[in-house]
This record gives sequence, C-alpha cells and structure tokens, in this order.
Amino acid sequence: MKYEMVAGFETHVELSTNTKIFCSCTTAFGAEPNTHCCPVCIGLPGTLPKLNEKVVEYAIMAGLATNCEIAEIAKMDRKNYCYPDLPKAYQISQYDKPLCEHGYIELSNGRKIRITRIHIEEDAGKLIHNHGDTYVDYNRGGVPLIEIVSEPDIRSPEEAREYVEKLQQIMRYIGVSDCRMQEGSMRCDVNISVREAGSEKLGTRTEIKNMNSITFITKAMQYEFERQVDLIEAGEKVVQETLRYDDATNTTSPMRGKEDAHDYRYFREPDLVTIKVEREQVEKIKACLPELPNKKLDRYINEYEISEKDSALLVKYRNIAEYFDKAAQGLKTPKSAANFILTQIFRRLETEADKEAFDIKTLPEQLNKMCKLIESGKLKNSLAKSALEKMLDSGENIEKFVSEEDMAGLDDAALTKLCQDAINNSANAVADYKSGKEKALMSILGFVMKNSKGRADANAVKEKLKELIG
Amino acid sequence: MVTREDVENIALLSKLFIDENDLDKLTEDMQNIINFADTINKASDESEEFDNINNLENVFRNDVVKESLPVSEILSNAPEQADDHFLVRKRG
Repeated sequence: MKYEMVAGFETHVELSTNTKIFCSCTTAFGAEPNTHCCPVCIGLPGTLPKLNEKVVEYAIMAGLATNCEIAEIAKMDRKNYCYPDLPKAYQISQYDKPLCEHGYIELSNGRKIRITRIHIEEDAGKLIHNHGDTYVDYNRGGVPLIEIVSEPDIRSPEEAREYVEKLQQIMRYIGVSDCRMQEGSMRCDVNISVREAGSEKLGTRTEIKNMNSITFITKAMQYEFERQVDLIEAGEKVVQETLRYDDATNTTSPMRGKEDAHDYRYFREPDLVTIKVEREQVEKIKACLPELPNKKLDRYINEYEISEKDSALLVKYRNIAEYFDKAAQGLKTPKSAANFILTQIFRRLETEADKEAFDIKTLPEQLNKMCKLIESGKLKNSLAKSALEKMLDSGENIEKFVSEEDMAGLDDAALTKLCQDAINNSANAVADYKSGKEKALMSILGFVMKNSKGRADANAVKEKLKELIG
Repeated sequence: MVTREDVENIALLSKLFIDENDLDKLTEDMQNIINFADTINKASDESEEFDNINNLENVFRNDVVKESLPVSEILSNAPEQADDHFLVRKRG
C-alpha cells in the first residue's frame, strides 16, 4: 500500500521589538540570567501587564505578508499550565480571537499551504536541568512571539523545508523577526500523520515539539512517517502523543507532558483590554510593507529576464535584493548588474551569514553607474571587472580606477600604434602566423590587450593586426 | 453534574492532595459553587459591551526600554536560588 504524509506546522517566531510584550524590559539576547526582568515579567502579584503597541503592528504585518485577514476585534486569554518556565502558571496568549486568520503561503510547486491563524503571546523562561534540579532564567519570559498555525497541508519533508524557509524569508523581509533558529527565535512544532495515498480521511497524528533546525525537522518528519507506516503495516495503532526528536540517534520518543491532564482552561485575560484594529491602520501598515520575495522573484524572472535560479539567489535575503534593485535602476539589461553581484561580489561572501548581512564596501549606486557606462559602450567589460575588484577592496568610487581617458576608448591612431608595437616585439609569432598558424595571432592580441589596459576592443585589435601584418 | 472524577482532576491540575475520605464532601461543595455561579447564566450576554465592561480598548505601551531590576531584587522572594537563577528542587 502507498502512504501519504500529512503534516501541519505550529511555528513560533520571536518578534524583534525592543521591549517585552507586557513590560518595558529589553528583549536583547544573551545577557546574564535574570537581568532583564521586572515585577511584571516574573509575575509578582499586583502587577499589571500593558500591551506593547509594536507587537500588534508586527503581528498585523506578518498576517498581511502571509495573505491573512486581519481581525477587527481581538483579545488576550490566559492559557493555564503549571510549569517552572511560567512564573504566573499561565501564559498570556490568544484563544478564540486571534489577530490574523485564513492566510496562505504558496510553494514553488504551486501548492498553497493554508495558514489557519497567527496570534500573539508571551514566551516562557529558559530552564536548565541539572541532576533533577531546575535552574530558571526569566530573561526570555515575556518576549513577544507570534505563533503561526498552518492547516495540515504539507505532504513531504521537502515541502516542509520550503514552507519554513519561506516563512523565515518573509518574516525577515518585513523585519519583524531575525528568525534565527539556532538562537531559538524561530521554533517549530510539527503535527504529523499518515494515510493511504488518495484518501481524504486523516490518520491519528503525533506532535513533534520544539525543533530549531530545518534539517532536524525534515529528518524527524521522515523518521516519524516511516515509524507510523510500520505501525500501521504491523496492524498496530498510532498513539496520539507528543514526541521529542533526538538528532543524535535520529529518532523520536514520547515526551512527558507539561501537564498530566492536558487542559489549559483558557479564559479571558481580565487585566488586558480589547484590541480593536481600525481598517485605516491596516491599510497604512499594508502600504508600508516592502515588496515581498515572491513578487520580486516574478519581477526578476519576467521583467528582467534573469534565470529562475539566479533570481532565487538574489531574493533569498532582503539585503541582496535591495542592493540589486538599486544597482539595476534604469538599466537596459538589469541582468548585467545581477551578474556582477552573483559572480564577483558573491565570491567575497563565504558563508550564508555573510550573504545575509551583505556588507559590501561598494555602494549599489556605484555598481549602477558602472553598468550604465558599460551599456553606453564607454567602458569595456574586462576593464569593468578589474575596476570592480578594486572598488570592492577599497570602497572607492569608479572614477578613482577608471580615468576619462580609459573610458574614452582608443582612437584609430592609438590602436594602430599599440598593434604596431606588439608586432615589432613578436617576431616569432608574426612568422608563425605568416606560415599559416592562425593561433599565433592570439598571443600578439593578448600583448595588445594587456598594453591597452583593457581599453581596446578585442575584435578591433584582431582586424587591425591582420591589416598590419598583411 | 460535578463528579468525583472532576474533583480529582481539578485537584491534580491545582497540585492539591485530597484525602479520599473528603472527596464526596468536596464534590457536593463544588456542585453548590457551580449552582451558585449558574445564576450568572440568567443574565443576558448578547450585548457586545458585556465583553468589554470597562469600555476600554487599545490601551498600549510604547516600545521603549526601561531599566530592569537588579538580579538580587528579582530573586529576593525566591524560596531557593543558585547562580543567579531561581532554583526548583527535584520533588520526591
């Protein structure tokens, strides 16, 4: 029998606000334990939470960027569970009135992964377990999160990878989160079940919790899919449970629940008032959103006629795409700017982090100027390449390395002189060429090109040499 | 109807230990509390305002960092602490 994977995602994304969701403590990462805390975020009695305006704005941005409808009325609720990572024994979250609903992310195979909802909530503290004792650091407690919940529309680990990468890319583009999985600012829970291919009925699902690497996610999904298929084939039942993925053994194992009886007893947070989202505010936020990666990709492929592969490299990180957009402004063939970026500039960026940062000394306006000079025929490509290297090294403008004289190109007299000099210095090559070795001309040509410092046009030189040698 | 199992479950969630002998009495008490609270259901809750009794909405805070408390003060009420962390001892 053929089985199909059915998976849905719950993705937690830490918002890059300056302060926590309900108090003015900083959200900065990596500080000494319990130094970013106040009575509100450690849940002392008598304190009152007050919602950070930026959190609402960022969540709406995330919703709009993932094609969600934005609620007119939203509210906060308490999700009760007793565990040391929550000082209040409840998490302030959203239950039945989330900020965003009914969105989707489109994959490259054309399938749409529906987004059920996006809600805002507070992060929990960090627990360090040591010989059965637990050390608690509440610096992360109260850091704002959005939880992005998808429908069970994902059918393979490859689709899962693309879904997570797309979410990551979109959230970074709109600037609401850095989505660094290794730092925990993006974490995924995966609900996964199997069913006979073609069936509409959903099987019993398990939930793999808290994964912070895309590679782990795809591996865990593959393992869990095979485990469930084996159970079904053996006539056994899949048990609905929460699992943990262990990357060392590449297996999943049951996790002891946070609560023996799973019952969050949600109720309205009485300390926080209703959130009313005016339509004008939504329009205002929409107008401020940058062009999203999917749109950019379309534009590069269809308007700029850049290959799909190269376009994908350009849109992967917002910094690269923005640099390219500036460099390509007003060019007849934006592709030339793309080529300089993807070859000479990319060669200098070794890691993904380097590419993401895209910290380049040369301003995009300078690259743009250079491409325009090439387009107008004033600057030879070979000269441009070497000039760009120097520009990238020093951050200096193109004028520093390419003089007016260089750009003017060679007039006939100068070309004739350069060619004649080369002929005079290459007696052997000339003799070879005269005896019928066509290739010998190339060494003379190379000589001329070198002496012209790249200003000469190779075809013109070739013609001139033939004319002079006769 | 509140059952003995309900009370046991609530006790579990509340981390309370309940003596087997008290269960019947507590179940009855709990039922009385629920009955009392049921009075509220007689009030109409159709009005939108009911959901927002203070008539307040959109009370927000600007995203500006203020100083946090020193770690010594944060930990001053902790029953146990170690290495600037709250310490939760292994139970049992």
